[in-house]
Amino acid sequence: MKISTRLFAATLAVGMTAGLSVPAHATGKMKCEAGPQSGWKTKTELEANLVKKGWKVKKSKVDGGCYEVYGTTPEGDRVEAYFHPVSLEKLLVSRRGKILFRKE
Amino acid sequence: MKVMLRLLNSLPVFWIFLSVPALILVRNYLAGDVIAMDMLHPTGEFSARFMIIAMLISPMMTVFGNRSWLTWLLRRRRSFGLAAFGYALLHLIFYVIDMEEVSAMLAEIDAPGIWTGWLAFLVFTPLAITSSNAAMRAMGKRWKSLQRLVYLAALLTLAHWLLIHDGVTGALIHFAPLALFQLLRGIIIYSKATPKAVQTE
Repeated sequence: MKISTRLFAATLAVGMTAGLSVPAHATGKMKCEAGPQSGWKTKTELEANLVKKGWKVKKSKVDGGCYEVYGTTPEGDRVEAYFHPVSLEKLLVSRRGKILFRKE
Repeated sequence: MKVMLRLLNSLPVFWIFLSVPALILVRNYLAGDVIAMDMLHPTGEFSARFMIIAMLISPMMTVFGNRSWLTWLLRRRRSFGLAAFGYALLHLIFYVIDMEEVSAMLAEIDAPGIWTGWLAFLVFTPLAITSSNAAMRAMGKRWKSLQRLVYLAALLTLAHWLLIHDGVTGALIHFAPLALFQLLRGIIIYSKATPKAVQTE
């Protein structure tokens, strides 16, 4: 193997390793100005609320200062939905990139 | 020493190298560190990455000439293509696990972000099936025409990624080198084909 080839193979290896670490970041789809987290309702409370309404929750996290939930609506749509962390009000629901609901 | 290097540089070792990300990802899933949903992004991204590398080799040869590292890559082009399919298959498997029910998958098949992915996978499948030496020999010239369908698969993959993902940056960063080198190849081929008056300058 020539040096350039070896160098290239090494670059490829480094590039692949770098690709394994996907950083968490704000997506910018929704923003909530909800003050300090101490005043927020908990994720558990939101999830319990949703399950009571017939949702299936896969996962939830904080995105753009809002709660973002991945799950299935009572209607059976697989969606990602945003909720206000203090009022737990539904702000945005989208299915595979298509917006199904947006709070006016 | 020489034998060792040759062994390290062999195709089977390269296949192991290509499957390392998959092994790490699946291990994390089996260990319970991540759920099926979280497997979608990395498996899809590796699929696209390997497809793009496979597709970059030929235009890079037009641009850079026959460099040794390009020949090295060219010998591994089918491996990259097959790896791209393997990661796409993994991507699909985790989609099915995540969706749990066929009815849920059918319910969203009309979403552009979803059907472009299905279609990309369907286009990819015959390319992977015919990737063996035997299939290559048996198909003769038709093999190359069939493999050119990868351009269609690439466009569908790009559309799938742009339509489904959070933001377009990741997709554009991955596809930009491919667009660039295809453009450069186009320019080089076009300039060689233009009349002599231009060439003798």
